Amino acid sequence: MSNDLIVFDNVSRFYGEVLGVNRVNLTIPPGITSLVGPNGSGKTTLMNLMTGLVRATRGSISVRGIAPDQPEQLFRILGYCTQFDSFPRGYTGFQFVNASLMLQGWDSKKAEANAWSAIEKVNLVDAAKRKVAAYSKGMRQRIRLAQAIAHEPEVLILDEPLNGLDPLVRSETIGLFREQAERGAHVIVSSHVLHEVDMISDQVILLANGYVVAEGAIRGVREEISDRPHQIVIRCDKPSEMASRIFQFDHVVEARIHPDFQGILVKTTNASQFHKLLNRLVIEGINIETIAPADDDVNSLYEYLIGDEGGKL
Amino acid sequence: MTGSALWQRQILAIVSLEWRKTMFARRGLWVYALAFLPAILFGISMIVIQRQQASQQQVLVDSPNAPAVSAAIKPGITINEVTKLLGDSKVPYTRFSRGRKRDFVRYTDGTNTWELSFRDGALTGKKNRTEARLGESILAFAGVFQYFFLRLAIFFGCVGIFMNLFRGELLDQSLHHYLLAPVRREILMIGKYLAGLVATIAIFCTSTALQFFFMLGPHPSREVSAYLNGPGWGHFFTYLGVTALACVGYGSIFLAAGIIMRNPLIPAAVILFWEGINWFLPTMLKKFSIIYYLQSLSPVVAPLNSDIPEPLKLLVTTAAPIPGPLAVLGIFGVAAVVLAFASVYVRKLEINYGAD
Repeated sequence: MSNDLIVFDNVSRFYGEVLGVNRVNLTIPPGITSLVGPNGSGKTTLMNLMTGLVRATRGSISVRGIAPDQPEQLFRILGYCTQFDSFPRGYTGFQFVNASLMLQGWDSKKAEANAWSAIEKVNLVDAAKRKVAAYSKGMRQRIRLAQAIAHEPEVLILDEPLNGLDPLVRSETIGLFREQAERGAHVIVSSHVLHEVDMISDQVILLANGYVVAEGAIRGVREEISDRPHQIVIRCDKPSEMASRIFQFDHVVEARIHPDFQGILVKTTNASQFHKLLNRLVIEGINIETIAPADDDVNSLYEYLIGDEGGKL
Repeated sequence: MTGSALWQRQILAIVSLEWRKTMFARRGLWVYALAFLPAILFGISMIVIQRQQASQQQVLVDSPNAPAVSAAIKPGITINEVTKLLGDSKVPYTRFSRGRKRDFVRYTDGTNTWELSFRDGALTGKKNRTEARLGESILAFAGVFQYFFLRLAIFFGCVGIFMNLFRGELLDQSLHHYLLAPVRREILMIGKYLAGLVATIAIFCTSTALQFFFMLGPHPSREVSAYLNGPGWGHFFTYLGVTALACVGYGSIFLAAGIIMRNPLIPAAVILFWEGINWFLPTMLKKFSIIYYLQSLSPVVAPLNSDIPEPLKLLVTTAAPIPGPLAVLGIFGVAAVVLAFASVYVRKLEINYGAD
């Protein structure tokens, strides 16, 4: 088994008779992976299983070659920013981050240096000496993130990490995720904000009712969905002519001219055939400015694969 | 860094994070109240006795011939004759009983304090009001230590402190911070246990020391130093040791209960009952309790609790105390077995705050 993968092998978890996740088989490569699904779909259970906070009822999990029931090894390479908004009583932000590093067995100098470095990364230096109890929700979120990254883990698991953050901090935090992924780390994020997931993810795992509905790179997942026509937006100079030409082909099921008459939205069941067709149209004199897929984003995937069945996101 | 050096460093880190939290938790204030209640009572008793002694001393000073005349005061003697014998006693007082006036004169002959009561001017009663002697105070201390301090104060103090080490953090939803650290669960448990021990031993040993010195406080320094230079210091350190061992024994049990049971008050009640009926258990069964070993180690045999009704006293069985080293080993052995049992559970511990 490769040591730079996170592997779920037929993993199930039940809470009494309630299903957490069922028959999950996943292989997650390094990079940013987003877990997407409605409330109760099993995102947090999946994260808790990876970190040993809950145990699998069936199956096995390996995080870069380490089983979750070996915390002494696992948490040297893994940082988990949970959704639990609770802290040990009386701690300042700095003490909170520093305490976790002391538990690594580090000497106090090294622990303090890393704690300050992590706090700096989340822009909380000014508030670090204040009690966490006096922090705003966004600050609490950031100090948890600082704690998760302070020991420079190879696997970073973040449960709704962007909750409560203002737009500026959100973009800084997303930058931080990218930084972690670029150095070869796994960054596993659960989020409800689909356009952000879209922006940051190298791959997605779609969950519904405790089952993995789809996994992989967003475009790859989209291509696997054959029962939904692909939507493509084309900006061109002769949209009406183009519409009439493309309707001659069976795989084109809909063509809608854009209100500004400068483009057309096409729905086709065979995207690769359609792209070949476009080449011909260009040769035949239609001037095409841009071609862009309109539905290979997480939002569309979510709608196609989970839709109303999944409940509210 | 690996192996035992890492574990030691992690245990130290856990102890340093936990002990302050444990000692200065607002919700633990009642533990302090319980721990220091006997010390406060011994302190109040010391102050009262010292004031009484001061007043007696005053009487003695005013009536220098009191020892000589003490024997001459017999029933029937009049208050005027007594006053004449004693000189002007400084502590005469009057009380009314069933509408009839009664006069009292209290005096000391240097060893005993006497209270004389007069009705219609004639002596009707002569009571010895001598304050507790050191020997009686030592017995009283042994009684309070064994019947209240060990059985209730330390017991419930350990319930409050050790059960919260895991269960309290589950309720606060903050235990996951520890479980997400690269620390073996057993090491975490040992670290928390030691932090609990630091806190309980500091609290309860301080209380024991205060009680002991408050108990000695009112007695003449000559008697006290004779006692301390004899068995006294040995008693003192043995009481401190027994206090610490009680924390070791009860602490391990309640730490385990906090890990294993969702409602740890149930095992606390069961253990309290078991320890409470220890007097009435057959000798063999007595050995399966913490209090048996602690009582074996106590330096002074406490008088049987006078609150026990006479018929029940017949059921009380006495077991020969086991030798000190065996008793100490017994308590450490119980603690080790209980912690080993709890470690199986702590490895399986899951974070499911909704269910807790």
